[in-house]
Amino acid sequence: MLTLWNLFEATLLCLNAVCVLHEERFMQKMGWGSNSPNQGFEDQSSVKFQVLNLVRSIRTVTRIPLIILNILTIIFKLLLG
Amino acid sequence: MNFNASRNVNAGGPRKAKRVVDVAAMGAPSPAPSFSPAAPYNPGYAQGPPPPYQQGIQLDGAQNFGTPEPAGNFGYMAGYPQTPMASPANIGAMLHQPIVQDMAMQYGNQLAAQGREVVTRELGKFVPVSRLRYYFAVDTNYVLKKLLLILFPYRHQEWMVKYDQESPVQPRYDVNAPDLYIPCMGYVSYVLLAGFMLGLQQRFSPEQISVQASGALAYIVCEMALYLATLYVTATRTALNTLDLLAFSGYKYTAMIYSLLAALALGAPGYYACLLYCSLGLSYFLVKTLRLRLLTGPTQTSEQPSYAYAAHYASPNPYTDSWAKPSSGGTKRRVYFLLFVAITQPLLSWWLTYHLVPSSPALPPVTSAG
Repeated sequence: MLTLWNLFEATLLCLNAVCVLHEERFMQKMGWGSNSPNQGFEDQSSVKFQVLNLVRSIRTVTRIPLIILNILTIIFKLLLG
Repeated sequence: MNFNASRNVNAGGPRKAKRVVDVAAMGAPSPAPSFSPAAPYNPGYAQGPPPPYQQGIQLDGAQNFGTPEPAGNFGYMAGYPQTPMASPANIGAMLHQPIVQDMAMQYGNQLAAQGREVVTRELGKFVPVSRLRYYFAVDTNYVLKKLLLILFPYRHQEWMVKYDQESPVQPRYDVNAPDLYIPCMGYVSYVLLAGFMLGLQQRFSPEQISVQASGALAYIVCEMALYLATLYVTATRTALNTLDLLAFSGYKYTAMIYSLLAALALGAPGYYACLLYCSLGLSYFLVKTLRLRLLTGPTQTSEQPSYAYAAHYASPNPYTDSWAKPSSGGTKRRVYFLLFVAITQPLLSWWLTYHLVPSSPALPPVTSAG
């Protein structure tokens, strides 16, 4: 049953998943790196570019708040089950 | 009482001047030892509040302290650590002075005004309040016409929003304009109606109200996130902004409420029939309305797009005179997005209501009422 709490948990897990993708070890191996030499000349409006851009932005912005949110959620779930 | 008001004042030694609150009023600190003005204090303060400023009394007008100052001239006793006002009786006496109350009230008002200003400023950064007002500028006629339009949109001819010098006209003047009043009321009515229907089936408890409300709210959030993510990832630039999208996706609540009322009256077959009819109507309505907003880019506001698209609600004249090439983002993507919206709306309205439908007409027969 979808409630606001479930929504919050789901978003937290998804954000964690996005932030866990490691730039060096994973993204570049898959060809999704953001430092390829001819990246500026590629198509800026393709879906792949937008998605990777989104992933990188999410990673940068939510890295620190996610730590805090995770700690709070863990404490909350420990206390209230 | 033996009270030495200047007990902690640096006595002798290198006397450093205390930080003065109001230097202009103080003038230059007098070189005289600081205690001599303190002596007339002791009898003086018992009759009224001593001067407020600081305890290293380097006042020019020190001689005035022999006569007690008019009571209540000093609304604050800032920076007076070992104040002779320590006893509650004195503070009580002081607080009852009318001028102190006035000053306190003024200060409180000032604080409140500042606080309100800060709140509106911060809120204005997240939620565009002035834009929100546009969406709630409705009147009864508009609401009636819009509800009927959602129910039966097939005879409506003119779907363009009237413009008033570059900005769309308010909803109360044009039935085609989106508004947020109907979605809000629809949401609340949906929650209440869901509670009512659960009650008729003996499945109700007060927590159900909050469960239904938060569930519907979560679906709204998910749906908006999905639409916005789709628009972003496909880099489709449209003239549709977030609040418009919220308004259009909120119109399905009216379809849901119609279907639920039919379910009440006619049971499950009535529910499905009404849902089908309302879904068709809602999809038609959304496609006609969004077509004008989506398929003209953000720069062109009023040119009709000139192409034929695969939806079976094809416009009567797909090729108009102005062969306006749509701006970046691709026409195909916009069409697909339009179809995506038009299909998910009925699906969501079914998903949010099917668990409420009774298996048989749930309304008690009229004869047994009362």
